[in-house]
Amino acid sequence: MGALAEVLARPDIWRGDRFAAAPLPAVPSGHPALDAQLPGGGWPRGALTELLTDGAGLGELSLLMPALRAVREAGGWSLVIGAPHPLHAPAWAAAGVDLSRLVVVSPAAECDALWAAEQALASGAPDAVLCWTAQADARAVRRLQVAAAAGGAAAFLFRPLRAAAEASVAPLRLALAADRAGRLAVSVLKRRGPPPAAPIVLEPPRPAQLHESALAGARPAPAAPRSPHQAAWA
Amino acid sequence: MGVAVARAVAPQLAVLPRNAAREAAALETLACWAGGFTPRVSLAPPRALLLEIGGCLRYFGGAERLVAAVAAGAAGQGFGARTAIAPTPRGALWLARAEAAAICLDLPMLAATLDGVPPEVVDLPAGVPERLAGFGAATLGAARRLPRAGLAQRIGAAGIALLAQAYGELPDPRPDFVFPERFAQSLELPAPVENAAALLFAARRLTAALAGWLAARRAGIAECVLHLDHRGRVPTAVVLRFAAATRDAERLERVLRERLERLALAAPAEGLRLAADGVLDLPGHSGVLFGSGERGDGMAALIERLRARLGDAYVHGIAAAPDHRPEGATRILAEGDAGTAVAAGPRPFWLLARPETLRERDGRPWRNGPLRLLAGPERIESGWWGGAKLGDARRDYFVALTADARWAWIFRELRPPGGWFLHGWFA
Repeated sequence: MGALAEVLARPDIWRGDRFAAAPLPAVPSGHPALDAQLPGGGWPRGALTELLTDGAGLGELSLLMPALRAVREAGGWSLVIGAPHPLHAPAWAAAGVDLSRLVVVSPAAECDALWAAEQALASGAPDAVLCWTAQADARAVRRLQVAAAAGGAAAFLFRPLRAAAEASVAPLRLALAADRAGRLAVSVLKRRGPPPAAPIVLEPPRPAQLHESALAGARPAPAAPRSPHQAAWA
Repeated sequence: MGVAVARAVAPQLAVLPRNAAREAAALETLACWAGGFTPRVSLAPPRALLLEIGGCLRYFGGAERLVAAVAAGAAGQGFGARTAIAPTPRGALWLARAEAAAICLDLPMLAATLDGVPPEVVDLPAGVPERLAGFGAATLGAARRLPRAGLAQRIGAAGIALLAQAYGELPDPRPDFVFPERFAQSLELPAPVENAAALLFAARRLTAALAGWLAARRAGIAECVLHLDHRGRVPTAVVLRFAAATRDAERLERVLRERLERLALAAPAEGLRLAADGVLDLPGHSGVLFGSGERGDGMAALIERLRARLGDAYVHGIAAAPDHRPEGATRILAEGDAGTAVAAGPRPFWLLARPETLRERDGRPWRNGPLRLLAGPERIESGWWGGAKLGDARRDYFVALTADARWAWIFRELRPPGGWFLHGWFA
């Protein structure tokens, strides 16, 4: 019995009905409903988190902003590698990201993005690394996981949804989708813990209120611009 | 062994003429490298360096560790080094020739060790070792036990003086090596090299020398240039940039490796020259008692490594700029900065590099289905003076939800011919 307890005390072994212990304290995701479903109670550090999503505009970055704010409070650095579009600085600053400790890496080739992510994770210098990749294979993901374990950063790898069918060594895999009301539905595909239940629906900060009336029938576009000098936010 | 005998033993032997100038240059490069151990270095041509280490033994953790560090550093540059530590310069030179890795920290110990050295291995004047052997002195100790006056007559005053210097009985002043004011060391390659990555080993000698030179001057560099010489062509210049001033040999070498791995040589390289201008003061740093240095240092090293491989333009920071036009509100900087934002309304995390044209159906924007306008319009009207490349903008921006429930930032162009455009994603 004592030997069994010893085995169960290892962070990489857990009982099927409970969450595994995280080797490093997790970064709170800022969404209590999500934290409750993540082993360690937040985004793991020293481990790869895969976020599977197609296209942009679901709230996939809003989901991570509380974690990036936590990095700022700890005085840490964040790295954005291979972003799908140019970053709009006023929005990132308004969300509370420390732009003076944000490094953007925009390599021309996909393999360079993976190389940069591996270097960044293994160096242990940044606290959060966000990387977008479309062609990472299982081997590349394994390399990133090994690098993340060595460096101890919170590592987020954005991949297309079709990667859900492939095996991956990332200990946490989430699929992101939009529900009809424009909210963010997070499905846990893999975690070190019991099999997940239904998708978690989150409401990260959005730029506008969405009323049911808007869903029923779209608002007509304004007929014509009113005053040419009007610059108010209506 | 003569050349003829050597050829008979090994027919494939390649014989090169000895090049005294290159030996001297190599010794000077090594002297620069030795500046990383101690600021007092002295050349003992043709093939020895003297390092005054009395003041730095404690820093390096003792004589054995210092010797090991020196030997490893020399081996890393492709030099085999014989080392000896002694309280007199000539004693150290002689011991290095006679006995590998001898360490004598005081004069009695030095005398005891030197006494066992045969005269023929040390650089006494020509003929002296033979004469000593002739009257039965097989070691330096035996020679010193002979009556001094008679010995002086037989081997000359010069030989006696050298012996006295080695044993610390006569002073042996040595000129200090003067570290050059400007670092520019070159290296001829034994054979032309066509593959840039293969240059790394040879270039390591130069980066090690640069690191030592910087340490002796208590300085660092943010940039240095490696010139690759080709026969009959303009040299290739490889600029190595560092995120912060450094004199760390490992960092120099890492950046160099990234640059060389990516370099396609136009012609075989026949020589290397490393030059460093713009030397910056970089006083010594205190050792860290707990933990491993500051995280900022690690970031600087990471950034310069990424830049060395990907190019400066691909690794950057961003800052908010006070421009109402969204295209002008993000500045790309070498280092990120908070900047000043003027945005009043909601702004998307992603701003498309080029606005995407949206179709219009029944007066409403369309992208695989109708877009629902949720907020707006926000009128942005600016830049009529044609500022920079962005020019005049007159647009009404809306927050819209696409048919597949994505949050988009779209605008209606107010200048003719008008139309709807997708400009960003509220990711």
